[in-house]
Amino acid sequence: MTLDTSIHLKEISKCYQLGKNEITIFDEVTLNIPTGDFLAIMGPSGSGKSTILNLIGGIDRISSGQITVGSLRIDQMSEAKLSQWRSTHIGFVFQFYNLLPMLTAAQNIELPLLLTSLSRYERAERVKTILDIVGLSKRGKHLPSELSGGQQQRVGIARAIAMDPQVLLCDEPTGDLDRQSAEEILDILKILNTEMGKTIVMVTHDPSATAYAKRTLHLDKGQFVRKELEAAQ
Amino acid sequence: MNLLRQCVAITNANLRSLGRRQWISISLVFSVTLVTMILLGFLAMANGFNKTLTQMGSEDVAIVMGLGARSELGSSIAPPHIHLLEEAPGLVKNPQGTTVLSAETIVPVDVLGKQDHLPATVSLRGIGAHGLTLRPSIKLVSGRLFTLGANELIVGQRLSQEYEGLTLNDTIEFGRSRWKIVGIFEANGSVFESELLSDVKVVQILFNRPNQVQSLRAQLAGPNSLEQLTSYIDANPRLPVRVLSEKQYFSAQSERVSQIILWLGWPISLVMALGAIIGALTTLYSSVSDRQVEIATVRALGFSRISAFVGTWLEGLLLTLVGCFIGLCAALLLLDGWAASTVGTDNTQIAFELKLSFSMAANAVLLALLVGAIGGGLPALHATRIPLRLAMTRRS
Repeated sequence: MTLDTSIHLKEISKCYQLGKNEITIFDEVTLNIPTGDFLAIMGPSGSGKSTILNLIGGIDRISSGQITVGSLRIDQMSEAKLSQWRSTHIGFVFQFYNLLPMLTAAQNIELPLLLTSLSRYERAERVKTILDIVGLSKRGKHLPSELSGGQQQRVGIARAIAMDPQVLLCDEPTGDLDRQSAEEILDILKILNTEMGKTIVMVTHDPSATAYAKRTLHLDKGQFVRKELEAAQ
Repeated sequence: MNLLRQCVAITNANLRSLGRRQWISISLVFSVTLVTMILLGFLAMANGFNKTLTQMGSEDVAIVMGLGARSELGSSIAPPHIHLLEEAPGLVKNPQGTTVLSAETIVPVDVLGKQDHLPATVSLRGIGAHGLTLRPSIKLVSGRLFTLGANELIVGQRLSQEYEGLTLNDTIEFGRSRWKIVGIFEANGSVFESELLSDVKVVQILFNRPNQVQSLRAQLAGPNSLEQLTSYIDANPRLPVRVLSEKQYFSAQSERVSQIILWLGWPISLVMALGAIIGALTTLYSSVSDRQVEIATVRALGFSRISAFVGTWLEGLLLTLVGCFIGLCAALLLLDGWAASTVGTDNTQIAFELKLSFSMAANAVLLALLVGAIGGGLPALHATRIPLRLAMTRRS
């Protein structure tokens, strides 16, 4: 049975206070992302792409509206509960990888596993398996500075899936990579979506990246202006 | 368990990233090292002074001074009173039936330091025939005892080492009198080593102080003898004197000077500790700023605010403890046993050694922990408030 990880943003608004002025990022935006979707969100800088990810991932709060993931209203969760929920349900992939530079690839992947009751042996086994999945089985002991950009992003993806979350939120995952590395990363994301059933929301500037998604939405000035229900494969 | 793992992981990551902030971290360690050394320096000074004055103070020896006098230099005892005290109960008599008692006169004399060539005032003490019997700790290390009736001196080892003209066979002038150094003695590092000793009669004559006695020392017969002697003096209105044991006397003397040293030492150390706290704040705010994307990232992964707090806080505590440890080692190597001197209550130089103890080390560790706890606390709180969206928007 597939776990319900559908994401529903209902009439959400998000405002920031900038000095005396209130900046509105979203004004009553609605978005539905079904379980198993691979959604690419495109749009110019400042259109609110990353903010959408922050709101879905619970690292930022909406000003009004509702956000439901599965059957859970995450906008109503306390910070502690949200933190706990995030650790098991959401995987983040960052544009600049955000690996801890003093930890090895394996230690970076192990970080979220420290939040579980898994033993050291079980954690090591899990890390080994995930390193295999992202094709870095021989790079576990390397520091991030000893890896290429593409390899670092693979470690970032490995860390994101370490807890086996059903939702992956990817913020410009190929934005800092050359074409070949970007394609390798997008291939991995596609496999995670099609073979492992992960729901993926990816923010990108790269039009070619949208080819890997099932659908693409364009965001401009806080509103979705166009949507393509099926990405061409 | 889970929280503990988070704290260990973040602390581990913080400590492993210290290399990125090495100079500012070293400056924090260095400032705590200085605070520790200064605090320990003052504490060791007070302790060394205290030990010098009290370690040889005996419960079996009574010191008698004029009523109202707080030190021997300001005291005076008239000859008739000495005769009355020779008959007092509780005092030991020798086989010849003479009371074991020493009438003593102290004269401040000026000498020159060997290193700085600056004048300093030391005590020349004239003692009676039983004076050395009443100071059993005094042992000659070279030369001989002074001859009764001769202008000869024996000199405490510390004075001999620190001042000019006080080595064996030297002749030294005090005013119009000339004295020959015939012996050097040690007294287990006690205050006696800060004095010159000679025959009281010669001292009285050569310094033109006929029959002037400032204090008496007497051997007490037993545990209750001091009370007997006190009762005798209290019951005799013709005796305007006060009595106390040698130990009580030295304790009172050392207490005042030790307190002055401590009153000076603690505020200076605390002001420096305040500086170290500001240093710790700067260092750890810089650390948080340096790691803010990392902190936001691990928090986004699900790590708790507490682990972000503990990681930064422990970094501060560990850096200050390292500084404290270096300060302790340096103090032990450089300060413990270091010879110093100060002016005692008789306005004379007292030489002593700085002495460190376990309780002082504990005080220094507590102060360092205070610096780390306060200096790390605010930045650690700041670390818990870093917006998680920083993880999305910035390069680490």
